[in-house]
Amino acid sequence: MAQKLESTSVAVVAEDVRRTYFLAEPVDAVDGISLSLADGSFTAVMGPSGSGKSTLLNLIGCLDTSDEGRIEVGGRAVAALSDAERARLRGTAIGFVFQTFDLLSRLTAAENVALPMVFHDSVRENRDQRARTLLERVGLGDRIEHRPSELSGGQRQRVAIARALANDPTLLLADEPTGNLDTETGAEIMDLLVDLNRQGTTILLVTHERTIAEYADHVVHLLDGRIESLEHLGDARDVAVATDDRSPIAEGGDDR
Amino acid sequence: MNLRESLRISWRSIRSHKLRSALTTLGVIIGVAAVITFMVLGTGFSQSIVGDIEADQEPVMTVHTQTVPEDGFGIMPVDTPIYTETDVEVLEQVEGVEFVAPDGSLDLVQTSTDDEQVTGVVDAHATTSDRFEHEPLVEGETFDAEDEAIVNERVSQLFEGNVSAGDELTLAFDDGESATVTVAGVAEAELGEQTPPRVFLPVDPYYTTTVETPDGTEERAYPTLHVRAGSLDDVEPAQESIVDYLENDSHAAELKQDDDEIEVQTVEDAIEQFMDLVDQLTVFIGAVAGIALVVGSIGIANIMIVSVTERIREIGIMKAVGATRRDVMQLFLVESVVLGVIGAAAGVALGLGVGYLGVTFLEWPMAYPLDWIAIAIAMGVGVGVVSGLYPAWRAARVDPIEALRHE
Repeated sequence: MAQKLESTSVAVVAEDVRRTYFLAEPVDAVDGISLSLADGSFTAVMGPSGSGKSTLLNLIGCLDTSDEGRIEVGGRAVAALSDAERARLRGTAIGFVFQTFDLLSRLTAAENVALPMVFHDSVRENRDQRARTLLERVGLGDRIEHRPSELSGGQRQRVAIARALANDPTLLLADEPTGNLDTETGAEIMDLLVDLNRQGTTILLVTHERTIAEYADHVVHLLDGRIESLEHLGDARDVAVATDDRSPIAEGGDDR
Repeated sequence: MNLRESLRISWRSIRSHKLRSALTTLGVIIGVAAVITFMVLGTGFSQSIVGDIEADQEPVMTVHTQTVPEDGFGIMPVDTPIYTETDVEVLEQVEGVEFVAPDGSLDLVQTSTDDEQVTGVVDAHATTSDRFEHEPLVEGETFDAEDEAIVNERVSQLFEGNVSAGDELTLAFDDGESATVTVAGVAEAELGEQTPPRVFLPVDPYYTTTVETPDGTEERAYPTLHVRAGSLDDVEPAQESIVDYLENDSHAAELKQDDDEIEVQTVEDAIEQFMDLVDQLTVFIGAVAGIALVVGSIGIANIMIVSVTERIREIGIMKAVGATRRDVMQLFLVESVVLGVIGAAAGVALGLGVGYLGVTFLEWPMAYPLDWIAIAIAMGVGVGVVSGLYPAWRAARVDPIEALRHE
């Protein structure tokens, strides 16, 4: 069982999760990963290409479903959900931030931020108000009516972060959020994420850059679809990430 | 996601590709415009004709025979002479009937003036002078002697010298007989250019076709009778009496073939028949134009499929932020329905415009085929749904992970 080393409530639990892709031959992209993320934690996932980082992120983000094992997000078991329910869960409990920002170019910043709320059927006035508030929170109060093409890369990523926060998610998933940004802008985005984390947002970040991973409290190192090691960066919070006892690599690599 | 939001989002995506959207709907626009134009022209045409006829409606009827041919399609006129002199005399006594003018055709071979001759072309009809009592003659008057004739304007124009009242014509018949007649009057060509050149002669002595009546006597008999009632109000009751007599007690009833039907047609009946014909024709042309609609819907489907592929990343993003399959399907379906409706609306406008130009040019009355406009808009929605269904289904099935990986 996944253990909580601290009695905080849990945002995400993964238990012996496996995902195999059948390409030319079967590839075990995620091969028995167990971990749990405490509410309010900031965790980075690192590993080389093909180590299963993105697959893990997609599984936790309900974009993909595991072949084996169980995943709970905000206390709900993902496997039992229908396609539509998973979509709703994505919209309400999870916020995505992508490397390529992925804003809709036709929509203004505010409309992009409001998009998750559109699928959530919230009233338009509320949406507009919330989009405005969120954009102010990420420092774009003066760019509300701008289109993505009129914004810099850093500004676009801030819009994407504001969008991820739209439905007040349990968990924010960031896949290489600084990958397309220069170092300075990347640092600003990371500062924003740290700031959000301090305000209580649980964050799971995938990166292959050590300097970016170091913004997190914990780093999960993946290799070949398994947890190679766990690293506690000993910041403000106590250990909030645990791995399955049965996972030999995690056991051996637990270097906290 | 509610419908208004889908409409808003779809409208934006349509507007962001103005040229493409315009080209996409072009097929529907042309299809609908063609349908509407034909309906406007068809209605205008029939109204103009019917208007002309109704404006100077005469209390006249035509009695003739028709049959349904063996292959079962349409109605064929039958030219057997079955209406005898006795029938004519009886019908003249029917209340409300002013006169009954028999009409029999004569086999005219050659028509000549002093220095010109025409072979064929002109057909000759034997009738009585009553026939022209109420008809406005272009010149002259009706015949009242056996060597007089009436020609219509087309005959008059046939000869370089322009035959007119008082001129002499020599007529050579198929049976070798010939006669020289004086033109007493020139009648109007009722259907303008479409009217065949025609010369009218007195029944006596030119019409010699006789049949043996059921009473055992030999009588002249005609294939057609022209009946005139005293007034428009007399037409209907007179028609009833005539039909009743002809079908039950007349020589014609005995003489006709079993499959033949005696038809007493008033001007109103003629208009109705004509309208039926025009309606059939209009619907037929409309159906042809409807093919353009099918092509148009294929156009929309095609563009929507391309659009799904092109916007696959956008679909991925929407799914990542919480759009269900239904939401995505709804978005694409609404977009194609909006395209269909825009196409139909533009098509209606264009169709009315072209139709208006057409009827103005042809001097027909303008018509607004409201039923067809409603059908066209409904077709727009239908085309949108049908052509959007498959692309929307494909969009809904897009795997968000694949989509987000897509460049």
